[in-house]
Amino acid sequence: MKIDRQQLIERTYARKRPAAYIRVGLDTGGIAAGASLLYERLKKIVAEKHLPIEVERVGSLGLSYLDPVVEIQSATLPRLFYGHIQPELAEELLTAHLDRHEVLDRHVIARFDPGEESTPVPNGKTPQLVFVLDTDTDENDKTDFILFSLREEIKRSIAANPPSVIRALDMRLYNKGVVVWIPHLGITYTHVLAPDVTRIVHQTLIKGEVVEDLRFKAPDKQQRVVLRNCGLIDPERIEDYLAVDGYQAFEKVLFAPSSDPVIDELKASGLRGRGGAGFPTWLKWKITRDVPSDIKYVVCNGDEGDPGAFMDRSVLESDPHSVIEGLLIAARCIGATTGYFYIRAEYPLAIKRMQNALDQAKELGLIGKNILGSGWDFDMKIRLGAGAFVCGEETALIASIEGKRGSPSPRPPYPSVSGLWGKPTAINNVETLAGIPAILQMGGASYGAIGHEQSRGTKVFAVTGKVRNAQLIEVPMGTTLRDIVYEICGGCQGKAAVKAVQTGGPSGGVIPEAKLDSPVSYESLRDLGSIMGSGGMLVMDENDCMVDIAKFYLKFCVDESCGKCAPCRVGGYQMLQLLDKIARGMGEASDVPLIRSICISMQNASLCGLGQTAPNPVLSTLRYFESEYQAYIEGGRSYARKMKKLREGGEVVRIP
Amino acid sequence: MEPRTNTLPAQNHIQDYADDEARLLKLLEDIEEHHGFIPKAIADEVEKILEIKRDRINTLRTRIESQVRKDVRTYIDRWGAEEGNLIMILHEIQNQHGYVPRNVVMELAREMGIRLARIYEVLTFYHYFKLVPPGKHNCQVCLGTACYLKGSANLEAELERMLGIPPGQTTADREWHFEIVRCIGCCGLAPALVVDGKTHGKVMPSELHSILSQTAPVGNPT
Repeated sequence: MKIDRQQLIERTYARKRPAAYIRVGLDTGGIAAGASLLYERLKKIVAEKHLPIEVERVGSLGLSYLDPVVEIQSATLPRLFYGHIQPELAEELLTAHLDRHEVLDRHVIARFDPGEESTPVPNGKTPQLVFVLDTDTDENDKTDFILFSLREEIKRSIAANPPSVIRALDMRLYNKGVVVWIPHLGITYTHVLAPDVTRIVHQTLIKGEVVEDLRFKAPDKQQRVVLRNCGLIDPERIEDYLAVDGYQAFEKVLFAPSSDPVIDELKASGLRGRGGAGFPTWLKWKITRDVPSDIKYVVCNGDEGDPGAFMDRSVLESDPHSVIEGLLIAARCIGATTGYFYIRAEYPLAIKRMQNALDQAKELGLIGKNILGSGWDFDMKIRLGAGAFVCGEETALIASIEGKRGSPSPRPPYPSVSGLWGKPTAINNVETLAGIPAILQMGGASYGAIGHEQSRGTKVFAVTGKVRNAQLIEVPMGTTLRDIVYEICGGCQGKAAVKAVQTGGPSGGVIPEAKLDSPVSYESLRDLGSIMGSGGMLVMDENDCMVDIAKFYLKFCVDESCGKCAPCRVGGYQMLQLLDKIARGMGEASDVPLIRSICISMQNASLCGLGQTAPNPVLSTLRYFESEYQAYIEGGRSYARKMKKLREGGEVVRIP
Repeated sequence: MEPRTNTLPAQNHIQDYADDEARLLKLLEDIEEHHGFIPKAIADEVEKILEIKRDRINTLRTRIESQVRKDVRTYIDRWGAEEGNLIMILHEIQNQHGYVPRNVVMELAREMGIRLARIYEVLTFYHYFKLVPPGKHNCQVCLGTACYLKGSANLEAELERMLGIPPGQTTADREWHFEIVRCIGCCGLAPALVVDGKTHGKVMPSELHSILSQTAPVGNPT
């Protein structure tokens, strides 16, 4: 008894695949920016006017800086993504697309086409669109000039069906001069100047030839594996997930005679835990599988406590079924009897969508007794966190699921051998699990072909802070930090230069601008004094004071320390006092060596990852920016006062 | 001594004072001042009133307690069979009451047969659980790293000044509860502020007063 997938898909698509649809990204970020109001308005207008278009709910595409994001495919226009669609624009968007057959000016997210292909416009009468945007950050915006020249030239030269020229919202290219994107030919031109306009119109638009010297050829730096469905399917309907081949990987694993092929595939893929520590996933599963026990558990760690990171939230809100499928595969491989999702209580929408997804999966017989007729029983439950950062640590997480204080315990024994209630337990991060179905479908070897040295595959990062475009990205391992910060996210906001990038949250360290050429991998980040972490990436500019940043992170760890072991409890507090003393301008020359020695004691003697990694922000700022500490110590209280005042005033502070 | 049954006019009116403790107390004070003592007849009358009140309060108490007991039984029925259910039950209690009231926890300890200290050990460990009733409106400043870099510390300072309370507390009129949260996941909107569940993005300290006043009056205007 397999899932009657065809029937389900037909049921979905009979209703779902009309020529026209409009999808609104409804995740926490989008809703905060007004997406739910927009969704309601669109639905109301469509219902009132009986418009031939379906309004659908999807998760997040990751483009946080463009929220609320909308995808629209109307009968006469190709599929387009819009950003910054405030609820007030609902009516305008619909009339432009459905009545006037026009594209909204200044709202199109250009060069963005994830997932499925656009439905071809009937009659072959594809309207030709040309998008223009100046991607330089200087005040002198040349978009209008090129836009005007293009329009004039087109008016002069093309009589029948002239292309419309539209100003885009975002080109997803930065510092490349004026960029022109011609979607129906799939061509992007960069650094377009006034003399190029004639060539573009005559060679490209009329003859369909490429102007080679202007052409932008670099492939997309992003690659969506974990985020493959995010923002493209309705997270609250299992049919949507089934329609994109969901649960196929699980079905295969379920009816396979042995779990060895799965473990071999994962070994070939080189997948390592995406929670930050990077332990090989296949090995974790194999160890847990080989421990003899009648009861075993699998746990999905969704306690994303790292401030400034929202990868897990986004996946749970946008594609919960992929995480369920990943956990089902894990459970089947190691022979688990019960699975737990541990999700932060601060993520109400993620919890709601997860619970809904679990209910749907249960209804289809994917969870419960005798799953799909295979004779295998497996149950899944949600457990809520309660605001303790330390519960992201696996032994503390186990204590919390058991209903106790989230205090970590010494390892070994590792949870793989003795975890929840003393039984073998495999704990995997949300991102790891969400990627597994896709890895098994594409084949371990082809996933393993992506990546860098010991770090294979792709990694999701939440890039935030002083960056121009705060967003969620997924890049192959080995992409340089510089590419991420400058090419994908457009560098810093305003005129200030990038000073440093911080990865790994309170457990990670800062990486100065000069080292941004290093590739992203578990090893290279560790060598730089930071960690991969779960994927938070904070960009800091010249105005950010490193002593203050170190203090901020350390304060977080001191607040979140569970207090069980002395190195973390006492060491963290003493170090915070020293940093505070320095930041108040009362530091002494002997404080820096003392801080260093406390850091080393904490790293060596703390019980769990929280205490061992808490000194990382301090050590890495000391390593790369010791002069700032010295400036405070030498400058004394007047310097500290000056810095504090500048910070509070939000003015530009050039830190030496 | 002659019984003073008909010498005290207050005695006949004392029932009128039954529902107003403040007036009753004032009356007794006046009598005491006048006579130098409280006559027995009056004292008996007051005693009668008190007896009735005590009965009423007892009825109320049993009613509340049986409601508490009923609630606790529901939670335990729902979660009882599960291992490690304590945190989930505490979540349910907080969802219902807005905080975790002590009498409910005591009842829970009795029903589950575990020590009160064991429950409080868990309750006090997790920041999410509140032990005192929160204010009518909730104002949360995000102090995640992205918001911090973009100046949410200034928002915190301004709110502290406006509301006159440090984070984690409730204003004296119980209108506002002000707290710090660690990352609400809207880093694209930094610095972010959540008022009664509605997220405001890219907030400047100068906008705080108008944002908060839309919901409820604020003590110190900017």
